[in-house]
Amino acid sequence: MTGSDIYKRTAVYERDAATLRLYPQEWKLLLAFDGQRTLEETARSSETSPADALRHAEKFLQNGWIEEQPITLDQYLKRTGTTERTSTVPLASVSHPPQPEPALQTPTASATPPTPPSDKPKERVLRLGAVIDHLLSLADSRSLGYFLAYRVFLRVPLELLQAEEIASVHLAGEAGLARGEKLQQAIAQAVQAIARQPLPESAFASA
Amino acid sequence: MPLHERDISYFLDTTLTYLNRVTDNQIVPRDPTIEFQALVFSAYTGLIHLKGEAEGFVYVTASQSFLQIFSTARHSYRVMADETCRDALNDITTDLARNARQHFGPGFHASEPHIFSTVPDDPIEMPPAVFVQPLSWHDELAYFVIGLTPSNTNDPSFSLIL
Repeated sequence: MTGSDIYKRTAVYERDAATLRLYPQEWKLLLAFDGQRTLEETARSSETSPADALRHAEKFLQNGWIEEQPITLDQYLKRTGTTERTSTVPLASVSHPPQPEPALQTPTASATPPTPPSDKPKERVLRLGAVIDHLLSLADSRSLGYFLAYRVFLRVPLELLQAEEIASVHLAGEAGLARGEKLQQAIAQAVQAIARQPLPESAFASA
Repeated sequence: MPLHERDISYFLDTTLTYLNRVTDNQIVPRDPTIEFQALVFSAYTGLIHLKGEAEGFVYVTASQSFLQIFSTARHSYRVMADETCRDALNDITTDLARNARQHFGPGFHASEPHIFSTVPDDPIEMPPAVFVQPLSWHDELAYFVIGLTPSNTNDPSFSLIL
């Protein structure tokens, strides 16, 4: 997911809208998706910070309330013709599994020689909110998803959570990060063991 | 033996059923949390120890105001006393324990409710994580809390309900 992606609300949203319970800021953002503006523009118009917009948009995407809007060649060329897109960086800093992020963020990079691989592995963080959203998406109901998340976190060694001063996890709107590799691995293993599903790559973000 | 999330959910569901019966379905569950370091206790608490196929504890803790309006809705009590709060929580947790025993069968043991105010009389061993579900009614809060040992929840294929 990048700041230049365009999203629109879906039929799933139309079906569920009457029963959804969201915070006002989430509604503001969700209702701003019009299939015309980029995520970055949508965030700006709804007065949502880039970080919050990214977090909420991923939640909307996982719940099927929004979907990416295909664009025309003209729109694509117009978007990629501008190489200075520094303002999209905050929103583009999180990867999403279906499409490698760097290719979307800077499409012109394909015309340049590939850079040699760095010796140092890229540091990244695990977004706890994305872990929870993933688990909620796997459960039959939100309530069961909460308890699925509880089962997962029961399996994570307490000392690793304490080492990162994680005292609690909010099962709605959690903004915390797992920074250490050991904790990230422990959470990923717990998700795999309990939910029998791998943690999606989109749960990780660049450090 | 491990517990599936449906089994864990049963404890909350049966608590909500009881509370909603008295409050005419006005209990509003707020966003839950998983706590790793501390337990939450309000003014009064009714706690049940779990043994056998589920190991740990489950409790309901509520403010005096919550219990006051709860008792008023239930019995039209006007005078609020310490004993009334304890009685209300005793009834809530007794119903919870009885239903859980019936639901999970003979391999499961739920203790009689232990009612206390402010903080527990005896130390409670903190499991690695507890699930805390805030419950709101008339702007007053109660909390449903469950803490299980990790071995109760490890095997995703097992469910007492299945």
